[in-house]
Amino acid sequence: MNWTCEQIETRLSEYVDGSLDASALSAFEGHANGCQRCAPLVARVAGIVAQMHALEMLAEPPQLAEQILARTLGPRANKAKRSGVLDWFRPMIQPRFAYGAVSVLVTFGVMIPALGIDWHKPKLADLRPINIYRAADREAHLVYARGAKFVSDLRVVYEIQSRLRPETEPQSAPDNEPQPTKSSPSGTTNGPQKNPRGLNRARQFSSAGVVLASAVPGACERISP
Amino acid sequence: MEPDAQLVQQCLRGNNSAWEELVRRHARRVFNLCYRFTGNRTEAEDLSQEVFLRVYRTLASYRSIHGGFPTWLTSVSRNLLIDHYRRTRRERLTDSLDDAMPKLENKESSGRRPDQHALAGELSLQVQDALGKISPDLREAVILRDLQGLEYQEIQQVLQIPEGTVKSRINRGRIELARLLDQMGLRPH
Repeated sequence: MNWTCEQIETRLSEYVDGSLDASALSAFEGHANGCQRCAPLVARVAGIVAQMHALEMLAEPPQLAEQILARTLGPRANKAKRSGVLDWFRPMIQPRFAYGAVSVLVTFGVMIPALGIDWHKPKLADLRPINIYRAADREAHLVYARGAKFVSDLRVVYEIQSRLRPETEPQSAPDNEPQPTKSSPSGTTNGPQKNPRGLNRARQFSSAGVVLASAVPGACERISP
Repeated sequence: MEPDAQLVQQCLRGNNSAWEELVRRHARRVFNLCYRFTGNRTEAEDLSQEVFLRVYRTLASYRSIHGGFPTWLTSVSRNLLIDHYRRTRRERLTDSLDDAMPKLENKESSGRRPDQHALAGELSLQVQDALGKISPDLREAVILRDLQGLEYQEIQQVLQIPEGTVKSRINRGRIELARLLDQMGLRPH
C-alpha cells in the first residue's frame, strides 16, 4: 500500500515513538525514504524529539522547597536558625579539620610541660618570659643529659657484648668438627692445647664484665642470661 | 502501595516530614513544567509555589486508584498553568504589541538573556523559544510527552481529552516545533 505525504505527517509521531505495526512501518518507510518532502521532515522531527528526550531537567531554585514549606506548614524560623548555626560548624566536621585539631593538641601537650607549666595548678607567673626561659633551658639540659646517659649506657652494653661474643663463637665451632682422637697420649693435636687458653681468656673477660657491670647499674641483667 | 501514596497518607495524618519529603521529591518536576510552559524563571517559581499550595489544600481528594501521584500532581499543575495563561493573556497581548516596537524589544531581550543563559544550554534555550511560539494546547502536549516523559495514557488523564486528540496534538506540536527550530537554524544531530 502506498502512503501519501498527508498520511506520513499524520502518523509521524507514531513512527518516532516506534509504535507502528510492521505493515504500517513498511508502508511509512516505503514512502518517506523516497519522498523529497517527507524524508527531511521525518529526520528533523526524529532528531528534535531525541534531543528533547536527552535534555536534563533544569535545577529548581535552591530556596523553592523551603518557600513552599514555609507557605504550607508555616514559618520554620527556629529550624532555619538552627540550621544556620549548624552551617557555621559544618566545615569543621571533616577529616582535615580533625587532623589539624589533633596536631594542635599534641603540640600543646608537648610544649606546655616543656615550658614548665603545671597542668593541674596553672599560675600567672608561669607565663612570665624569664620563667618560661628558665623552664625551657632546664628542660633542654635535662633532655640532653638523659640522652647522653642513654647513649653512654648503650655504648657500655655494646662494649661488653662485643668482647664476650668472640669467645662464645669459636667455642661452639669445634663442636661440629670431628673430635680429635682421644687415644693420642702425646697430645700432639691442637684441641687439648686450645681449650685451656680459651678458658683463661673467658675468665679474664668475665671478670672484666663483672667490674663493668658493677660500674653500670642495670647492665648486670643484660649481661647475665 | 507506592511510596508517594504512603507519603500522602502520612501527610493526611498530620505528618509534616512526609509533606516535606513529597515537596522535595517533586519540586523539580513541577518547576520544570511551569518553566517550560511560561518560559520565565520567576513566574515558574511563583507558580510552583501555587501548585504545591493547591496540592496541600486538596491532598485529601487524591485517590491512588485513579493513577499515580505524579500524574495527579501534573494534572493540578496543568490546571493552574491554564488558569494562569488565561489570566495573563491580556498582558501578553500588550507585551506582543510592545515587542513590535524596536526600542522596547531591545529592552525586553536584554532583560531576558542573562537569566536564560544562566538556566541552560543553547539547545534548551532554543527549544524554550520555539515552545513559546506554538499554541498552548500543542505546547502542553509536547512538554508532557517529550520533556516530562509522560505516557500517552497519563497525558490523557492530565488533559482530560481522548487519546486520539492527545496523539494528534503531540504530532502537530512536534512538527511545528521542528519547523520553528529549523527556521531558527537548529539542525538535529
